[in-house]
Amino acid sequence: MRHSFELYHRLLSVQLRSQLQYRFSFLLEMFSTAFVVLLEFASIALVFERFGHIKGWSLGEVAFLYGLVETAFGLMDMVFSGFDPQRFGQSVRRGTFDQLLLRPINITAQVMGSDFALRRLGKIALGIGILAYALALNPITWTLGKILYLPVVVASNILFFGGLFVVGATITFWTVESIEVINILTYGGSFVISYPMHIYQQWMRHFFTYLVPAIFLTYFPALYFLDKPDPLHFPAYAPFLSPAAGLLVWAASMAFWHFGLKHYQSTGT
Amino acid sequence: MRLFFELTKQSIRRHLTYRAATLAGLVTNFVFGLMRVAVLVALYGEAQEVEGITVSGIITYACLSQAVIAYLSMFGWYELMNSVYTGEVAADLLKPMNYFSYWMAQDLGRAIVNLLLRGVLLMVLFSFMFELDTPQTAIQWLALPMAIILGWLLSFSWRFLINLAAFWTPNAVGFGRFGFVLSWFFSGFLMPLRLFPDWTVDLANLTPFPHMLNTVVELYIGVLSGAALAQALLMQLLWVLGLILLGQLLMKAAVRRLVILGG
Repeated sequence: MRHSFELYHRLLSVQLRSQLQYRFSFLLEMFSTAFVVLLEFASIALVFERFGHIKGWSLGEVAFLYGLVETAFGLMDMVFSGFDPQRFGQSVRRGTFDQLLLRPINITAQVMGSDFALRRLGKIALGIGILAYALALNPITWTLGKILYLPVVVASNILFFGGLFVVGATITFWTVESIEVINILTYGGSFVISYPMHIYQQWMRHFFTYLVPAIFLTYFPALYFLDKPDPLHFPAYAPFLSPAAGLLVWAASMAFWHFGLKHYQSTGT
Repeated sequence: MRLFFELTKQSIRRHLTYRAATLAGLVTNFVFGLMRVAVLVALYGEAQEVEGITVSGIITYACLSQAVIAYLSMFGWYELMNSVYTGEVAADLLKPMNYFSYWMAQDLGRAIVNLLLRGVLLMVLFSFMFELDTPQTAIQWLALPMAIILGWLLSFSWRFLINLAAFWTPNAVGFGRFGFVLSWFFSGFLMPLRLFPDWTVDLANLTPFPHMLNTVVELYIGVLSGAALAQALLMQLLWVLGLILLGQLLMKAAVRRLVILGG
């Protein structure tokens, strides 16, 4: 275990050094990840000028959800970029994943260390900016509980999205090619929970409650932070299930990953 | 010209072989369409019509914007860029054909396959789910294919331009991403332009992007007609010509800079 950490640490430092080699193109990529978030959020904010609210939620309240999701997803995308299904699928297809398997070192640490997308700092910064904007529009009455719980929610979201990345990566063991579908889980999941969940039809909400417990990651915690009543009438402890849901998805994804590893057959390239 | 269509034919054949990827893309665009419809309908709430766009219009918009992703390569196209980095560009430049036309012929093949297998098919699938709007008048029906073709031409010329950056820098992907994201916002891909405040629309109209997608959308849902329609098509055409011209000029400069290392 200690050995794996040391190895991960070393792989990371190599990654960072190589990414910072071309300073200008690194900066450009970082700004471009921020630019995406900026324009996507701007498009929502501008349209809100016309509508005022979405099923009772103001721009400030939606921005809180949105900023939370962007920040957590960006952090996850940086740390777990080795498991990014697009990238990982490519390494399975090209057979470079097989090289990692041949080394007598923890495979998860190796995959984690195979990429660290520092350029996501741009996305993360924007996510935090949107959160700040949300707080400016819509001041939260902070309590000690809320202050302590916010980082827990962010960490749970990282685990949750990380789990989705791992599931997506594992699926490429079998599908090799058609990885675009996995975007439904990852980017689709983050898109859906960037908006208050009560706006969706029941079947969609049930999918993201019982099959993928995304609703506990941001929506219920947001109700708690924003002191809003729960229109879905879940138990009062629902906002505090965020870490449980995050851990559950992460544990399930790890089980799936190890199952996949056991049954992995190389493409032979 | 024969060479052009030969290349297009080959490209069509090549893209028809990516069956699994096409299906996967279709499913993804379909599900995202459902999600976007859900959000936009919720945003409309009680409103029946906003800025001339009805509820069924906004639903059609959400479906249409997903249907054209593959056709217009909205999420990125770096083939030309990569060919510069791998050195294949040397062989491409030697071909007895204008470099721009060479890529255009191939992109045409890609676009045709994606228009039919992803665009049209998606709209058919969506029409089982929702009551979709269609053009109202014969003139709108006639203008639609023109707008769709000009939209592709505009998208291709834009992608060609930003890919040329590869001739100037060893890693132009970041630069390319800027170009694509810009087009998402100003083409009305993220939100229909009509729903934006006036100043944003005015800003968008200074760029070529509205004519990639927004014009097609407005035509499709029937809010564009008469003189405004004629003007939109004309502007589309002018932007296409402008960008093609710019592409030719930049290409000449790019090729002059190019150094191929033998080996």
